[in-house]
Amino acid sequence: MFKIHTAQTQNFITYTGMIWLLAAQLIVMLPFTTSLPAWLIVVVIFAAGWRLRVLSGKATQPNTLIKAALLLMGIAAIFLSGLRLPSLEAMSALLLLGFAFKAVEAVKRRDALVVIFTGYFLVALNFLYSQTIIAGLYGTLSLIVLTGALVGVQQTIEEFTPAQQVRFNFWVAGQILLQCLPLMVLIFVFAPRFQPFWTLPMPMEQNTRGISDRMAPGDIEKLSQSDDLAFRVSFKGERPAQSKLYWQGLVLNYFDGREWRQFANEQSAEELQWSIKQDYAYDPQNLKIQGERYEYEAVYEQSGQPWLFTLTPSTEVQGDVLRAADYRVMAKQPLHSPMLIRAVSRPESIRDLTLAPKLQDLALQLPQQGDIRSRQLAQGLYAEAGDERAYIQTVLNRFREQPFFYTLHPPLLGEKDTIDGFLFDSQRGFCSHYAGSFVFLMRAVGIPARVVIGYQGGEWNESGKYLAVHQFDAHAWAEVWLSGQGWVRFDPTSMVAPERTEQNLEAALKKEGTFLEHSVFSSRKFAWLNSIRKQLDSMQYGWQRWVLSYDSETQTQFLSKMLGELSFTKIALLVLALFGCLVMVWMVWLGLTRKTNPEALEHRLYRRFTERLAKKGCERRLDQTPTEYAQLAIQMLPQQAEHIMAFTQTYQTLCYASELRQRSSLLRELQRLLGQIR
Amino acid sequence: MFDTLPAYFEQMVKQRLPSARTTVLDQSKIFIVPSKTALALLVMIIVLFLLGINFQNSLVYAVCFWLLAMLVVNVLHTWRNLSRLSITAIHIQPCFAGEKAVLELELACDPKQQKFAIELAWPQEDAIQVNLVATQTTRLKLSHSTQQRGRFTPPRIHISTHYPTGLAVAWSYVTVDMSGLVYPTPAPKNQSTEHSHNTAADQQQSGKELSGGTNDFGGIRSYQAGDTPKRIHWGQYAKTGKLNTKVFVDYASHDLWLDWDSLNLPGIEARLSQLCRQVLDAHQAQQQYGLKLPGITITPAKGEAHQVRCLQALALFGVEHV
Repeated sequence: MFKIHTAQTQNFITYTGMIWLLAAQLIVMLPFTTSLPAWLIVVVIFAAGWRLRVLSGKATQPNTLIKAALLLMGIAAIFLSGLRLPSLEAMSALLLLGFAFKAVEAVKRRDALVVIFTGYFLVALNFLYSQTIIAGLYGTLSLIVLTGALVGVQQTIEEFTPAQQVRFNFWVAGQILLQCLPLMVLIFVFAPRFQPFWTLPMPMEQNTRGISDRMAPGDIEKLSQSDDLAFRVSFKGERPAQSKLYWQGLVLNYFDGREWRQFANEQSAEELQWSIKQDYAYDPQNLKIQGERYEYEAVYEQSGQPWLFTLTPSTEVQGDVLRAADYRVMAKQPLHSPMLIRAVSRPESIRDLTLAPKLQDLALQLPQQGDIRSRQLAQGLYAEAGDERAYIQTVLNRFREQPFFYTLHPPLLGEKDTIDGFLFDSQRGFCSHYAGSFVFLMRAVGIPARVVIGYQGGEWNESGKYLAVHQFDAHAWAEVWLSGQGWVRFDPTSMVAPERTEQNLEAALKKEGTFLEHSVFSSRKFAWLNSIRKQLDSMQYGWQRWVLSYDSETQTQFLSKMLGELSFTKIALLVLALFGCLVMVWMVWLGLTRKTNPEALEHRLYRRFTERLAKKGCERRLDQTPTEYAQLAIQMLPQQAEHIMAFTQTYQTLCYASELRQRSSLLRELQRLLGQIR
Repeated sequence: MFDTLPAYFEQMVKQRLPSARTTVLDQSKIFIVPSKTALALLVMIIVLFLLGINFQNSLVYAVCFWLLAMLVVNVLHTWRNLSRLSITAIHIQPCFAGEKAVLELELACDPKQQKFAIELAWPQEDAIQVNLVATQTTRLKLSHSTQQRGRFTPPRIHISTHYPTGLAVAWSYVTVDMSGLVYPTPAPKNQSTEHSHNTAADQQQSGKELSGGTNDFGGIRSYQAGDTPKRIHWGQYAKTGKLNTKVFVDYASHDLWLDWDSLNLPGIEARLSQLCRQVLDAHQAQQQYGLKLPGITITPAKGEAHQVRCLQALALFGVEHV
């Protein structure tokens, strides 16, 4: 019926407890195999297998020397795998190694707790690598298993079969975590968010994704092979036409003859931030606001870079961002998790009616030599055209009329005279070639111009009502400063391939058939998969929009939208009230509010039975078993013997041997028998 | 009002937890605090929070807050595991001083509830862990060492649970309104045989003869028809030529008086120990015996109940009146 064992044995991990630990360890470590050496999994299986053999008496516990040797080997192996300190990977790998080896040492309950708590930490650590819905669900599963292990090592219920024990641990862990969920959400919504205190090494894997801060021939072509997501946008109200969706990322001013960069000298992220704040800052006075107004919210994927992409120029931006004199918007830190901003754009506004000398210098820079043919062409055409506007039109027309081709596979142009090579020899190129050579031709005749890189277009998701911009939407275009008009956007690519801007890259490459040519199994290529993909993408967007990008800015916005004016007292009272409600819900859920008789019905009936017999002079001592008492009662009240025996037997059946199905009929029988005793 | 915090706590425990035959643990009787494990987890949660801040990662925050919520919710689970548990004292097994007194308890819970890993303990004495899984009631035994004869009043029982995760510990105290007997430690056996000769003198005086017995020789009378030839005193017949029959008697009992005054031992406890040994021996030998203590006389009898009566008198001699 029940087993009693001394409390001392409870401090050691049992065989089942160890199996739980092993399962939890494997589940926690599995997702790390994509970013860290997979042999760590082998280590955990080896370590836990050893411990299980010790527990079943087939091996002996390794001594300190062996353990130390194993640990040293493990550390050496980590460094041989190419991981270096101080990187997040090396630290994670060391932590995982310790986590795996701890299984050999896990003898006492305290060791198990170390393993489980480290497991919790690793579940969180894995979210630095992946934050998809799938990763979230997997993390939840890991938490349930870890908590199940926590329950499992805390106590072993001797009455349960191993299968029942497993179900029980899962049930308890699941129930607790489910009950925690509303409180977790409450804390998540209201807990203050702080700025990072110090910089930590970031995951290597995602260092650079998407558009980089330079444009060399071939860069954007490579990007166009990827259908990874760059960002998603949902508009409040009207959405601009597809061909107007120019998402400006960076402005490239400096050309070295081959490659376009932001500035002459290479700048680190900190230097760039500093110079943007100092002498390259956004000045609203240079903007003359006019035309259509578009309000939108954008959630950017983690790119490991600080670039954000907006419709230029933005008049208002909410978020932790910097704004520069070239109207770009960028994040203060590289994006290691999705980021949300809200912005208002007025694309028809006039930018920089008067051009600052510094900006003018930047926009006129050209290499000292090289590309002679192009320079001569520019001068010739400019002399013919007479003025700037006519000249621009001539250059654009030239792209349309001459046999230029839009292709993902342009021929290589070498290291020197790349503009000449493109304009006169190959005449085959991608957007970067057109934008670069266009800006070159402008600057060659003294017209301020610059290259802009970012994304153009996007895919409208009807079910989610948002625009998804992918890496293959990466684009380069040009801006020219004209007196009286400020900066004006020109897209020479649209002269060659109008489909590119009016529709998308896929349409522009239809003839060539090179769209996503390397991803044979892309779901975009199958219509039925495409709709499923869009649905999933829509879910992912909601996840990012509401969960991943919930930072201090979003928090303030969300809370003030819900509560109006924010004050500490207001929030504190609300949190307390919500917590109070939660406690009530838990109490009801756990049955702590119920006032019930602690005695089961059969025991209550038995007590009434003994009370009746006691009136006839046959009292029951507490230490008498029902059978002993029945024997005594039959001796004293022989005329009731039959009923007493029947009642006692039914009672005992109910107590010790009843199947749940029979219970109610047995209870009725017991009540009937009680009635017969007078 | 109270001098020290422990004294205050002691007072509170007494007020809230009066001794009773059956105690049902309710809200006012259960104390609950986070365990050391919970503090360790809390440190881990703080580390996670820092991780969340520095990487600005919402899901790290989520794990961190989820674990924090677990610390809170777990308290209710631990509390529920003790809540409305009823503890009934059934019986205390009498014992000899120096042995363990065993208290039998019955634990019971609500019909639809299950209780897991409930530990009942007398610290430094005995501890057991018990589940209420298949049934709503269970009986268990808890033992406590004894030093002195007399009444054993069980100290309060420490009843605690760490279920389900060990992150909180809930506990309560139960004082059972019941006491058990502690008999004097019986004197060692060899000593008792030596002294039993002293008392043997009393034996014959108080014995009542039953004629027609078979055991002891009672005298000679003249032969009567029907006497068995086995009992004819052939020796006398040879001398005198008269037929005489040997007569045997049985004693109604070997009424043994275990007498305080007849013991020549220093000290009360030594005498009680000696008497205790004699009671045990006499009972084992299935003899009829009586007990004389200053002011108490138990008439000779036999059997389990009689032995208990005698031992009880010895246990409580000088402690309280029986």
